[in-house]
Amino acid sequence: MLRLKKKSKNRLNDRLKSRVIVCLDVANGRVVKGVNFKGLTDMGDPVELALNYQEQGADEIVFLDIKATLENRKNALDTVTQVAKNLSIPFTVGGGLNSYEDVKMFLDAGADKVALNSAAVNNPELINQISKGFGSQCLVVAVDVNKVGEEYQVYINGGHSKTNLKAFDWFNEIETRGAGEILLTAMHKDGTGTGFDNELMAQATANASIQIIASGGASNAQHFVETFKAGSDAALAAGMFHRVEITVSQVKNELMRNNIEVRIC
Amino acid sequence: MSPLKKVAVIDTGAGNLFSLFACLERIEVEAELVTSAEQLDDTIYQTLLIPGQGRFGNVMENLNQSGLSEAIKAWYLKGKNIIGICVGLQIFFESSEEDEGIAGLSLLKGQVSKLNSPKQPMVGWCSLQSSSSSLNGKSVYFVNSYAVKNSVNVTSKVSYGEDFVASIASNGLTAFQFHPEKSGKQGEEILRRCLG
Repeated sequence: MLRLKKKSKNRLNDRLKSRVIVCLDVANGRVVKGVNFKGLTDMGDPVELALNYQEQGADEIVFLDIKATLENRKNALDTVTQVAKNLSIPFTVGGGLNSYEDVKMFLDAGADKVALNSAAVNNPELINQISKGFGSQCLVVAVDVNKVGEEYQVYINGGHSKTNLKAFDWFNEIETRGAGEILLTAMHKDGTGTGFDNELMAQATANASIQIIASGGASNAQHFVETFKAGSDAALAAGMFHRVEITVSQVKNELMRNNIEVRIC
Repeated sequence: MSPLKKVAVIDTGAGNLFSLFACLERIEVEAELVTSAEQLDDTIYQTLLIPGQGRFGNVMENLNQSGLSEAIKAWYLKGKNIIGICVGLQIFFESSEEDEGIAGLSLLKGQVSKLNSPKQPMVGWCSLQSSSSSLNGKSVYFVNSYAVKNSVNVTSKVSYGEDFVASIASNGLTAFQFHPEKSGKQGEEILRRCLG
């Protein structure tokens, strides 16, 4: 059953600053970008890009190792440490984290938070364990959903495998088990540049008492305005920033013009 | 630049200190982890810093066990510089709803209570409200579910669902409910100022 929460977004003190998050999809130590999870293009060096986005005013950096394998784990940990040493803003790491030990390894390497995706679906108890062991504040559960007819269905394994989970049931379970935030990617929007799925975001945030980050589909500043107006707590993009179509500060200026409170740095 | 005196980062045994040490390195402050009361030598260290990781009860139990609780109190009573971040601010008070029945360091009067915030945990950025121009309007990063609602010597407050204490300064003591080490350039500036 969905818990209904009172929403009073008009009250200034009921909202944190709307966060603009830049995602670095990393494969083999390089930032890459794919379309609908397929076909990768090289976008640059992770440390350089992370610092560049911090300068532009990004509120958080998410680092997703999309080709995480055990063989290149050491490289991934080294890259995480290099990024973490240099960043003065929160830094979330995901991709290929399958166990409590994996999480500890990446937190020790300098990540402020970890993002679990397939592992949380395969072993939901892991959410409880990590939340209990390290605190809910350092656990983001990433959810890839695809719109199938009128239903939102949860996918895992980088969007390759459909599960039987219905998105809203899964959001509730994630929250109940103690995650701190949800990173919600609309696969049907990812790489399309047509904006976030704000219908999904409005429904998800209205029923959640943890924060939900919108992901998938952004290509301009207006898309950020729209998703924050729909209720998203934070919004994430990758390609539009990597392709230098627009800077984070330009997005934030547009948000301010629309009376959406952002961090000014 | 003249070298700043050393900071003793207290080992509370309750979390990862990577971000804190990375930040201190970026602002060129020399810092060392102090794990026992004997190490806490005021001829070596100018400032004592309690990091912001872990929960109230866990941190207090660890400090009691290592004998650092008493050493921190003695340090404070001598009027020396002491900084607390997040749970490091909270343990300066007498108790917390997070772990009832476990006493804090009680350097300050009052208690820590559950934050009645719209979303929990509170994870994100807020602007400080302060009469001090070095704090007022600064955007800083919060990660907490508990907070002090009222105290004396408050230097800034924020509001998220309800008002709570964001920072305190009293004699040599400075405390932040937010994480200056994760608050971008503005956070680094705040930390640098109180370590200068």
